[in-house]
Amino acid sequence: MAGSYNIFVLVKQVPDQGSKAGLNPDGTIDRAKAKRMLNPFDRYALQAALHTKRTYGGTVTTISMGPPPAVEVLLEALEHGVDRGYLLSDRRLAASDTLATAYALFKTVNYAGKPDIIFCGLQTTDGDTAQVGPQLAERLNFPQITYCEDFSIEDGKVHARRIIEGGTQKVVTEMPVLVTVANSYHQLEYKSFRGTWRVQQLQRNPEELKKYIQTIDLDVIGADPDRCGLKGSPTIVAWTDKVGEIGGNCQMHEGNAPENLVKEVIAGSNVKDYLVVTH
Amino acid sequence: MTEQDVSAFCPKGDVLVIAEHILGELQPVTFELLGAGRILADKMGRSLIALVIGYNLGEIPCKLIEYGADIVYVADHPDLFNYRTLTYRRVACDFLESLKEPPHTTLLGSTTTGRDLAPRIAAHFDTGLTADCTELDIGPYEHKSKVDPSKIGLYPNCLYAIRPSFGESLKARILGPWKNPQMATTRPGVMTPLKPDPKREGKIIQIPVNLRPEDNRLVIAETLREVAKGVKLTEADVIVSGGYGLGSPDGFDLVRDLARCFENSAIGASRKVVDLGWMPYEHQVGQTGKTVRPKVYIACGISGAIQHRVGMSKSGLIIAINRDPDAPIFKFAHHGIVGDIYQIVPEMINQFKSMKPTQEVKAVVSTH
Ligand SMILES: Cc1cc2nc3c(=O)[nH]c(=O)nc-3n(C[C@H](O)[C@H](O)[C@H](O)COP(=O)(O)OP(=O)(O)OC[C@H]3O[C@@H](n4cnc5c(N)ncnc54)[C@H](O)[C@@H]3O)c2cc1C
Ligand SMILES: Nc1ncnc2c1ncn2[C@@H]1O[C@H](COP(=O)(O)O)[C@@H](O)[C@H]1O
Repeated sequence: MAGSYNIFVLVKQVPDQGSKAGLNPDGTIDRAKAKRMLNPFDRYALQAALHTKRTYGGTVTTISMGPPPAVEVLLEALEHGVDRGYLLSDRRLAASDTLATAYALFKTVNYAGKPDIIFCGLQTTDGDTAQVGPQLAERLNFPQITYCEDFSIEDGKVHARRIIEGGTQKVVTEMPVLVTVANSYHQLEYKSFRGTWRVQQLQRNPEELKKYIQTIDLDVIGADPDRCGLKGSPTIVAWTDKVGEIGGNCQMHEGNAPENLVKEVIAGSNVKDYLVVTH
Repeated sequence: MTEQDVSAFCPKGDVLVIAEHILGELQPVTFELLGAGRILADKMGRSLIALVIGYNLGEIPCKLIEYGADIVYVADHPDLFNYRTLTYRRVACDFLESLKEPPHTTLLGSTTTGRDLAPRIAAHFDTGLTADCTELDIGPYEHKSKVDPSKIGLYPNCLYAIRPSFGESLKARILGPWKNPQMATTRPGVMTPLKPDPKREGKIIQIPVNLRPEDNRLVIAETLREVAKGVKLTEADVIVSGGYGLGSPDGFDLVRDLARCFENSAIGASRKVVDLGWMPYEHQVGQTGKTVRPKVYIACGISGAIQHRVGMSKSGLIIAINRDPDAPIFKFAHHGIVGDIYQIVPEMINQFKSMKPTQEVKAVVSTH
């Protein structure tokens, strides 16, 4: 096979915002009570990693940083067919901002090996910054392809299409590279019954499972605790305000013939001011 | 602690805007950043400076002055013709290092480019970066938390980077006065630009460009712009958007016909139809798409999920068409029509076509 690529994919467990469970009265999330899920954007990154492995050969390693329950997303990835996973879990990581997160992930990547390609999600639904990927690429001194929606390898080079303002761009670069995958990439394929079955078996055998998923802490990866967590974060959330429920002033038009409904809106608004001018 | 105790870290310095342009055309977000940056700089009695990177930049530096910059630093080099992460990163980082006093604040747009470049610069300088801000301000902050005693103190001039969080149910104020520059990206279409003033005076300074071979690791093979699609979403006066209620991709024919009734219009879409492949991603409005603020937004068969709402709720006039009277979109639209798109929209097109407004009507409009 042309290449045996060492493929990493970064996945994060996030609170499920679709469910009301675990929302504090002030609107913040009670992470202990909230339902948890794999960051939806990371599904595309996972698909890109698995597709790359199946097409060009190689192994897929997932990396996640988070509290112990985050192991669930690594198990989910294992069901989808990744080869192994690392969970970086350490109390000293609490309140990390993106810079501290990227530093900790950088140390984890170095611990886990020498990747040819790192796939990240475009952004997370809780942090929602799209910063961690590029910040990690900076630490690693890798080129990066953000907003990637198509990815292939030809003659040992990476060819990709990425979204830019008002269009797309085709780029070519070398490995190692970090790629953040847009949600216009292919949907994650369904996991196979075999994958699910295999993970069920593994979960019955903790010793065997450890061969596939390792939980590590800052000491194992040799990270400087002062550069992690609150201490290592140059930014803090000073305070939050609840955004009031908006609206309630909608003028409703219903129960009439379409012709009249439309007339009401045209009469009641300035929409006609923007019509095409015909001379 | 007194103010003096922290004066050593007390952020001074100017406010820097990193300009964005595509093929020699400054992007609207740059004007918005200059408008916001001007206010911050004036509050601190400092200068507003801009950095523009590219090739054959022509009138661009002058334009940046017209829109509020006091000093414009220009990096002009053939290898910088197109935006590329590593080359632009090199120039920006070298520039920041060359300044005697680092900027107090550095601002970029939350565009695909700004979000690609800003985190690289922030990581290089180990400084804080707040993404996707919707408000910026300068003000005092007293840090009392004892977790890191070295940070305790009163900081008179901090950047308040304010951004929505948790799907917009909260507004978070993010601060990081310990490091300069304090960095933020802002959502396009949110900040207000200044009126350009051709008489404004400013300085234009060329800066050296020293690229290294490793900066050329990525090459652009081809750039495809969607010129044919007309006006860009963030600049359109009128956006007609379609959602899953259209029932099929063909439904966008109707959306397009309605959009054609308007001057300077564009087509928007909900994420659901983008995910289904009915429309390309560039048309997506919302949390993970574009934030738009047109004069008129017409939503056809869109439920109005919060992630959609945050991208368009600041529109001047929102007209929603939905057959479900309880659809969330009716909570924040200005006019709601309860009915089937396939009956209402053709009727709208008919009535608009028969109206034929005159040039006079247009003139009245432009005065307010
Ligand atoms: C992290 C995250 C980010 C997201 N980002 C975005 C984003 O950026 N933008 C975005 O839009 N969404 C986003 N979403 C998705 C969002 O939550 C909604 O799922 C999506 O906006 C729904 O799209 P829709 O309104 O087209 O579809 P639906 O919610 O299915 O609504 C269709 C509507 O059409 C109406 N309808 C059906 N048939 C007709 C008819 N014949 N005539 C009239 N009305 C009809 C129905 O009553 C319904 O209200 C995001 C979700 C997540 C989790
Ligand atoms: N705690 C984390 N563990 C693993 N990957 C992460 C973590 N945080 C962010 N990432 C990766 O970085 C991407 C962007 O995250 P964000 O900058 O938080 O929007 C995510 O889609 C993940 O791929």
